[in-house]
Amino acid sequence: MAPPPLTPYTFIQCPCSDSSPAGPAPASPSGLGSDAEDDDRTFDPRAPRSNYSLHPLEYLMYCEDCHQIRCPRCVAEEIVTYYCPSCLFEIPSSNLKSEGNRCTRSCFQCPICIGPLAVTSLEAPPDPNLLAADNASAPSGPYILACSYCHWSSTEIGIKFDKPNGIYSQLQKVHNGGHPRVTAKDRKDRRKDTISETTVSSEPSSTPATSGPLDTETHFDNLRSFYTHQISDSVSSGPGLSLTDMGVSSPSSLTRLMNLYTVNSLDPSKKPTAASARRSKPTFREAADAEEGLQPADLDESSAIQALRVASWPGTATAEQRGTQEAVRLSNLAEPPLHGRSRLVSELRPIPVLLRTKRSKRCPVCRHIISKPEPKVASTRFRIRLVAGSYIPAIAIRPLNLSSPSLSSPTAAAANGLLQPLKPVQYLLTFTNPIFDPVKVTLATPATVPGRFASKVTVLCPQFDIDANTDVWDEALRAGEAKKRADERLEGLKEDEDVLEIPMFVRVEWEVEAAAEVGTAIGGKETRERRELAYWCVLGVGRISQD
Amino acid sequence: MSRRPPKGEYIETDTGNKVARKANLVGTQNIMLGGKTVIQPEAMIRGDLTRLNPPSSTSSSGAAAPGSNTAVSIGRYCFLDRGCCLRPPSRMYRGTFTYLPLRMGDHVYVGPGSVVQAASIGSHVHIGKGVVIGEMTIIKDYTRILDGTVVPPHMVIPSFSIVAGRPARVIGEVPEGGHEAFELRELYKTVGNNPQRAPV
Amino acid sequence: MASAKPSASRHSILPPISQSGPKPPVTFSSSITISDGAVLTGTNPILISSESVIHPRARLDSMGGTISIGKRCIIHERTRIGDMGSEGRLSLQEGNKAVTLEDYVTVETAAVVEAGDTLLGEGTVVGVGSRIGRGAVVGKYCTITPQSEVPDEARIPDFTVVYGNGMRRQDKRGVSALMNKAQRQQIDVLRRLIPSKPEKFH
Repeated sequence: MAPPPLTPYTFIQCPCSDSSPAGPAPASPSGLGSDAEDDDRTFDPRAPRSNYSLHPLEYLMYCEDCHQIRCPRCVAEEIVTYYCPSCLFEIPSSNLKSEGNRCTRSCFQCPICIGPLAVTSLEAPPDPNLLAADNASAPSGPYILACSYCHWSSTEIGIKFDKPNGIYSQLQKVHNGGHPRVTAKDRKDRRKDTISETTVSSEPSSTPATSGPLDTETHFDNLRSFYTHQISDSVSSGPGLSLTDMGVSSPSSLTRLMNLYTVNSLDPSKKPTAASARRSKPTFREAADAEEGLQPADLDESSAIQALRVASWPGTATAEQRGTQEAVRLSNLAEPPLHGRSRLVSELRPIPVLLRTKRSKRCPVCRHIISKPEPKVASTRFRIRLVAGSYIPAIAIRPLNLSSPSLSSPTAAAANGLLQPLKPVQYLLTFTNPIFDPVKVTLATPATVPGRFASKVTVLCPQFDIDANTDVWDEALRAGEAKKRADERLEGLKEDEDVLEIPMFVRVEWEVEAAAEVGTAIGGKETRERRELAYWCVLGVGRISQD
Repeated sequence: MSRRPPKGEYIETDTGNKVARKANLVGTQNIMLGGKTVIQPEAMIRGDLTRLNPPSSTSSSGAAAPGSNTAVSIGRYCFLDRGCCLRPPSRMYRGTFTYLPLRMGDHVYVGPGSVVQAASIGSHVHIGKGVVIGEMTIIKDYTRILDGTVVPPHMVIPSFSIVAGRPARVIGEVPEGGHEAFELRELYKTVGNNPQRAPV
Repeated sequence: MASAKPSASRHSILPPISQSGPKPPVTFSSSITISDGAVLTGTNPILISSESVIHPRARLDSMGGTISIGKRCIIHERTRIGDMGSEGRLSLQEGNKAVTLEDYVTVETAAVVEAGDTLLGEGTVVGVGSRIGRGAVVGKYCTITPQSEVPDEARIPDFTVVYGNGMRRQDKRGVSALMNKAQRQQIDVLRRLIPSKPEKFH
């Protein structure tokens, strides 16, 4: 079975890719249609780089100051607003640093199917078909997170909530199975108590009573605080260095590092050896127990293997599910044993919803803003929105049927949606002028399409004018009047295999009122200024039959 | 289209709605059309599934105040393609089962065979072919839902989202230049008893 | 259809469906709710047990055998129960079962349950636009999510959720009692909303 027929498309090249050696020269071609054979200037849509420079018209912006097309790859973006796509709450950017890029209210995705999770009272599960409890006019806890698509619920990982709001913070406090989890605050408090003792009486062998693997954040926290102390201890006696001077290249760091490795580093304990009997400076040593953040790797995986055996295939998380857990790991909600790399379905955690942004865009060259949305989450308006579609003509392409040239089914050549080799096909290109001035369009294509199997292309009308756009709000009733059609006949010829893509160079010229004085232009004498824009585009015509 | 429609295949109202005679509208007194909306053949709207306020009033006083019990309200320039189905969402509210109204903004396209049970659909929303929109879903403006998507119940889809998959996820953002593509004025003109040709 | 405009007096625009095919013998419980917009066709018996609801434009086709619908089932609009499938297989033997729905089954909008001794267990929900293949046996309290497909002759164990692209998992919520309760409530509401005309089908 042949690949599905292809609907004709038009992609436009952004000038930001001009630097590529295969790209067109920045200047417009000197000649017009007659010079189309100028192969040096051609643009190969099949070149690997072309994938990154071709865009549909909707994706392109236009800088009014540079008079140039801008694409999503070259514009500079600035975040205007962060918001949660689920509860649509705006998150101040200051919160992001402390709380991460996930919604910290009650918005979660299902760890099984990534569907949205709803907070529901256990008395009344979410699915409208199975809600109940006639008397539960005010449903009370406990609450669960439930997926209305795959029917997963947090009871499957043994978690229930006391309150219907602030699920994120509640979830931080419980492990799967419901037993409590040390939060950052608890850790801080505990640290205050212990830190003073441990630094003094550091017996590396003394394992803390609360054994068991540390969870990721505790682990990290312990390590950080331990090494912070180590650094400050080892430096404090030095010549007044602050922590900020601790770059690798700073002299003190170098000496410290040298000391570290030249002294007898085999003995990590605090006990100074003979060789390192430097003046009272304590040796910089490594973490030695859990309180200091030492977490021996558990190489015995028999229990994990056993768990997998018991859980069997249905209880094993898929690669995709494990992948989405990454988010959980980063947002301090992870389960301890595998640092969030859960292997079992029962180890999965609900995924807090990733925040979304509204972004403004700047021209990469002149730094002018070319797109700026209203900051409010609920608003869909834009303060500035300079899209290419309102500056350059839209190009539509469709097969032209000679027998009934108006509107009809695809041509005989494309009867099965494929182009027959060695058979000329005609296409009609329609240019729609978005601006309120008449535009002169000049087209050029290479005589033969670049690629392994070349097709001959002839533009029958390489130069034409399109009338000015009339008032858009006037319903643009007669398409034929406001927008002139340009008959283009492209004749494909020769054998080929895959999609026929025709590179076409488009040059549009129009006259505008001189932009010298923006505000006063109305009264003053109108000086007309010529504008010109030239760019490559690619016409995806269709697939070529392989018979 | 295979054949030229015979005269009057559509019912055209004063406000410019074009309702195919072959559409299935149940409970029309509870369906509000904002005007210039097209309902294609075999599209179905379940206006009969309304909220029952006092449990006894509906059966006795059929046409009380029309509009008071709206089940489905549709804005202007919406286009309900063949075989789609709009039905009001239901949920358990205070322990009882209730239907709630389905509200739809302007310029909403619902593709062939799609089933919509959303609570609210904004304006400029494109719903593709064979899509299922779960109950109580909220879809904001300028959203494109690709063919075959299953939007799970209660999902909220923010503006400028491109949505696909089963279950649905946001897979992209509608570009700035893509806003105009949601306009359905031109499509509106191409159907009806005196259709205009589609602009090229 | 001669009338011009939808008016407040008319409560629906439901063009008549060409009632092709024979009218099946039906056995209805007196407490069912069946819209007169439903379509019942075929030659074999159709049995509908107490309190079940048949929405308008639901289509029950008993061409391939008996269709029996249990208690408190809800058959939504545009469903095709007893669909002959692409094969269009006809078997006109007596006592042949086309589709059996146990109690509390919900078949949502535009779902298809093909004929051929197909069974949907108690409390099962067939989502919008899903297809249950010929001869499939779906267990109790299963959920077939929208636009899913249960292949012909498939066996789906109890409490299975079929989701995504044919993935399956176990529903561990244990809320079947609540589901049944909700189903009863929904039926109570639907009874008041859908005018029932069982006599049309006798």
